Amino acid sequence: MNKIFSLAFLVSFLLLSAIPAIAQNEELFFRAAGSPANPRVQASWNKYYTYQGVVDLCTKLSKAYPDLVTIESAGKSYQGRDIIVLTISDKKAQNPDFKPALWIDGNIHSIELQGTEMALYTAWYLCEMYNDNAFIRQLLKDKTFYISPTINPDAREYFTSIGVPPRSGLVPRDNDRDGLLDEDGYDDLNNDKEISQMRRKNPDGKFKSDPKDPRRMMRVPAGEKGEYELLGAEGIDNDGDGLINEDGPGGYDGNRDWGFNWEPNYIQGGADKYPFSFPENQAVRDFTLKHRNITGAQSFHNNGGMILRGPSIKNGGAETYSNEDDAVINTIGKKGEIMIPGYKLLTIWKDLYPVYGGEVDWWYGAMGCFVYSNELWNSYLMFYDSTNNDAYEFDRLLLFEDAFIPWQKVNHPVYGEIEVGGFSKNFGRLHPGFLLETDAHRNAAFCIYNSFQSPKLEITGIEVKKLPGGLKEVTATVENKRMLPTHSASNIKFKIDPPDYVYLDGGTVIAGMVVLDKDMKINQEQKKNPQRMEINNIAGYQRIDLKWIVKEGSKFTVRVESMKGGRTTAAAE
Amino acid sequence: MRIPFRLLIMTVAFCAVILRLPAQAQYSNFKTMSQKIDLLSHEYPLLCSVKSLAKTAGGKEIRVITIGTGEKDNKPGIALFGGVEGNHLLGTELALGFAGSLLQESYAPEIKKLLGKITFYVFPDVSPDATEQYFAEIKYERTVNGRSTDDDRDFIFDEDPAEDLNKDGFITLIRIKDPSGKYTESKEDKRIMVPADLSEGETGSYLVYSEGIDNDHDGSFNEDGAGGVNFNRNFTFNYEEFGLNAGLYPVSEPETKAVADFLYARFNIYAVFTFGPQDNLGKPMKSSDQPEKDDRITSILKTDEIINKVVSDKYHEITVVNGAPVTETTSGNFMEWAYFHYGRYSFGTPAWWFPVEKGKNSSAAFLKYAEMNKKNDVFIPWREIKHPDFPGKTAETGGIKPFVMINPPADSLSLLIARNYKFITEIAAMHPELEFLDLKSENAGENIFRISLKLHNKGIFATCAGIGENNIWTRIMRITVEPANGQTILSGKKVQQVERLEGNQSAEFSWLISGKGSLKITAGALNTGSVSAEVELR
Repeated sequence: MNKIFSLAFLVSFLLLSAIPAIAQNEELFFRAAGSPANPRVQASWNKYYTYQGVVDLCTKLSKAYPDLVTIESAGKSYQGRDIIVLTISDKKAQNPDFKPALWIDGNIHSIELQGTEMALYTAWYLCEMYNDNAFIRQLLKDKTFYISPTINPDAREYFTSIGVPPRSGLVPRDNDRDGLLDEDGYDDLNNDKEISQMRRKNPDGKFKSDPKDPRRMMRVPAGEKGEYELLGAEGIDNDGDGLINEDGPGGYDGNRDWGFNWEPNYIQGGADKYPFSFPENQAVRDFTLKHRNITGAQSFHNNGGMILRGPSIKNGGAETYSNEDDAVINTIGKKGEIMIPGYKLLTIWKDLYPVYGGEVDWWYGAMGCFVYSNELWNSYLMFYDSTNNDAYEFDRLLLFEDAFIPWQKVNHPVYGEIEVGGFSKNFGRLHPGFLLETDAHRNAAFCIYNSFQSPKLEITGIEVKKLPGGLKEVTATVENKRMLPTHSASNIKFKIDPPDYVYLDGGTVIAGMVVLDKDMKINQEQKKNPQRMEINNIAGYQRIDLKWIVKEGSKFTVRVESMKGGRTTAAAE
Repeated sequence: MRIPFRLLIMTVAFCAVILRLPAQAQYSNFKTMSQKIDLLSHEYPLLCSVKSLAKTAGGKEIRVITIGTGEKDNKPGIALFGGVEGNHLLGTELALGFAGSLLQESYAPEIKKLLGKITFYVFPDVSPDATEQYFAEIKYERTVNGRSTDDDRDFIFDEDPAEDLNKDGFITLIRIKDPSGKYTESKEDKRIMVPADLSEGETGSYLVYSEGIDNDHDGSFNEDGAGGVNFNRNFTFNYEEFGLNAGLYPVSEPETKAVADFLYARFNIYAVFTFGPQDNLGKPMKSSDQPEKDDRITSILKTDEIINKVVSDKYHEITVVNGAPVTETTSGNFMEWAYFHYGRYSFGTPAWWFPVEKGKNSSAAFLKYAEMNKKNDVFIPWREIKHPDFPGKTAETGGIKPFVMINPPADSLSLLIARNYKFITEIAAMHPELEFLDLKSENAGENIFRISLKLHNKGIFATCAGIGENNIWTRIMRITVEPANGQTILSGKKVQQVERLEGNQSAEFSWLISGKGSLKITAGALNTGSVSAEVELR
């Protein structure tokens, strides 16, 4: 951990110690089901956190729950902010890095702010429910969560303070290929820290005010006279090349930058020089390569109400999907549809559009993990009605016009007198405050379900039998009690992770075999190193029977070490 | 009139090079090569600068020699690569030899003129960890860098290297007499072992492996030796995920990243020459009439095919090579990457090869070629050894010596360097170059002037390879008018983008200007150079 980080710790610690009572008086509350009524770390989920707010909340969690939370920096962003990763697991019950783990990240696209809140809520919820809820307590004994609330902190900071950034991070880029970097971005003409729309009164324009809600610009029917022309997003021609807003900050796509099924920019817009061109993604890559216990990954985007699964390119790329993997992915995804009303399980290339070099394909193809990308928020959530998507009505009735910036006159250097206005940047793609917590909880529950279904290996039925000639036969069964296999199809094919190792300790192992058919007594011997049996995969809800022939020894321990299935031991005399 | 004169000058220069260079007796190891590079920068400090870009996993520096004049990174540039495939020592010699020849000839008028216009970036060796194996105690054709990798994915690293069983300093082959073996002696040359052809009624009688022992007892020989990642498998075009020696992900190595970053940062580079196994100079690439799959582009574009053919014809003419080498397309290679992903003209050749008739065994063809050309000492005769993995069986070592099939004897280096040098300088003279033609201003009335011109590319090469046209890593040309004080543009744009111009192609522009004074017009981009003119309106 670096110095700046330690300083952040110190400052937060001082802040924390200055507030004597973190938890509030219990008598003021009656607990609602499924939520922490009196959390140690006070947090509300009807607002968005700035980067500093994210750091603050993460630091408070790590201070309040030292036995559950480790905070670290996985690397620096382009502008030098820490890419924070929280490790959440019951540290007293085994090393978190040996347990099956779920990775969660948010905000890879800067304007898709609420992925961070989904990730943060999940972290907060797990910690605050640990003492109250037996399921969460057992989950954190068995599993680990690695949560990186924002993997694009620079542009998050830009969004929440200055204006509207691109989807990307803030590494400068020459979008109009003229040799200048970021020289003509949006301009906040009325200094309201918003980039809204420009309109100009024009009798030849194609738009007019909607009589039902005059704030809305509607296209005039053919043959009718208009009132306004629309001039795009707020901005001027900063570089005098006759174009407006054609080269703003950044302008690439961090989600076309991953080292699997990658294609260059003329095929896949937003790609950079090569995979992992950007420091934020490098940080995630390096963290992941050091944490091969990650079995599943969840990435948060907006919007549309989708639970997206791979493959991301037409008919799939270099990765392999098996029928078994598909069944697991679809079963969990379909459960998500139930848990998050309005969200649909969809396949990226088929139902959305093809994505080369996307994070989802990298997680599945290169790292052998089960992965979802949720597109948060859709218009259904406004009225719980898929036939009414009228944002103006929603804003009027439920937000009291808080989401709209009234049209305001401004002088434009090129267009003359214009008006700027429209929906605020916190509305349209982002949840309004009162709906944020609901969706955060549902998405957190989906992550928890995914984590719960990661492999759980148990050794059952160890038996020791005497054989003639002073030898002994030791048999044992390794069972996977959950839905995910220890190895996905890509993992098996490309040998991303080692096989599952089952050791027999005690005695001298003469032979070791996998029992293929107990009834017909068909076994398969492992000639090399039988003391450490190698199992390529233990599928969900399946078992592997093993048999050893041993010389000497009286106490035997069977030990399982699986990269993605965790570690466990059992002994027999 | 101009071309014959140029040819004459080039021929004189060419002869001069041959006369001045002493015949090179051997290939240069890393140390010698580094000294030669240093010497060039000391001898020609004004024209030549050397920069170290990265250190490989094996601790060797990747160096680039920049040769040119003035603001070097602002002139159309050519990048030249050797050592792209680590067993191809010839490429390293040719790249370094090119730099040396260019600097030695820099006084000659034609080269002086060229260096006024073009910058050369020469990378003599981008696989130094691998090329050094040629000079090691045990020689084998290594292509991978010094990063420790698990080549056979058994989760143990570098556990089964080759062993020099007969202590002759070379890793060749072992053959074991065994009725279960699939190999037999070739009918073309009995020394060569080939798989028996069951359809011809043959059965094999030998097991054949790379020279060594099965250290990890997994049934494979030498499948996970020292290193590493192959520079020429680690680029993004047609990258093979989980491919052997391909790296953990594309551009994962310090040297591949340094090279890619260097090139991407230089928009002025318009062409890349690669000495390595990939060839489009012996035989130019062919465009495809088939529609491409899923938006990808995998065949040369028609517009670039023409230039490739011109350049390939020149290669045959100048270097007097016959035919083409047996082409190798491998995933993640550098030469194709430079075209398809970097978006530049890209040319590659192994620069030396021997003829192989269609359908014939290339090893047998090589032995025949060696015999005809009195190249002795290329084959290590089969000789019986004791092999620990095959007790009680007859085992022998033998085979063609490493390196000899892709690297000619060192005494032919001088001639090859001179010919390839001449070829590249002639191709460089075909660079894109802009000029204004028919620049006119007419008085269209009181204080109103109409200006018109043709922007002409007088080079043979287009202002940008067709493949780079829609690639953000090339610049778009612009033509800009800067009115003087009091002048305004009535018609036409102040700044406008100019579409790619093929060789000898023009685009016409006109403006209507109000007001007298001096008007400046500039056109171009970094990769074409720019051209400007001042027009006095009165």
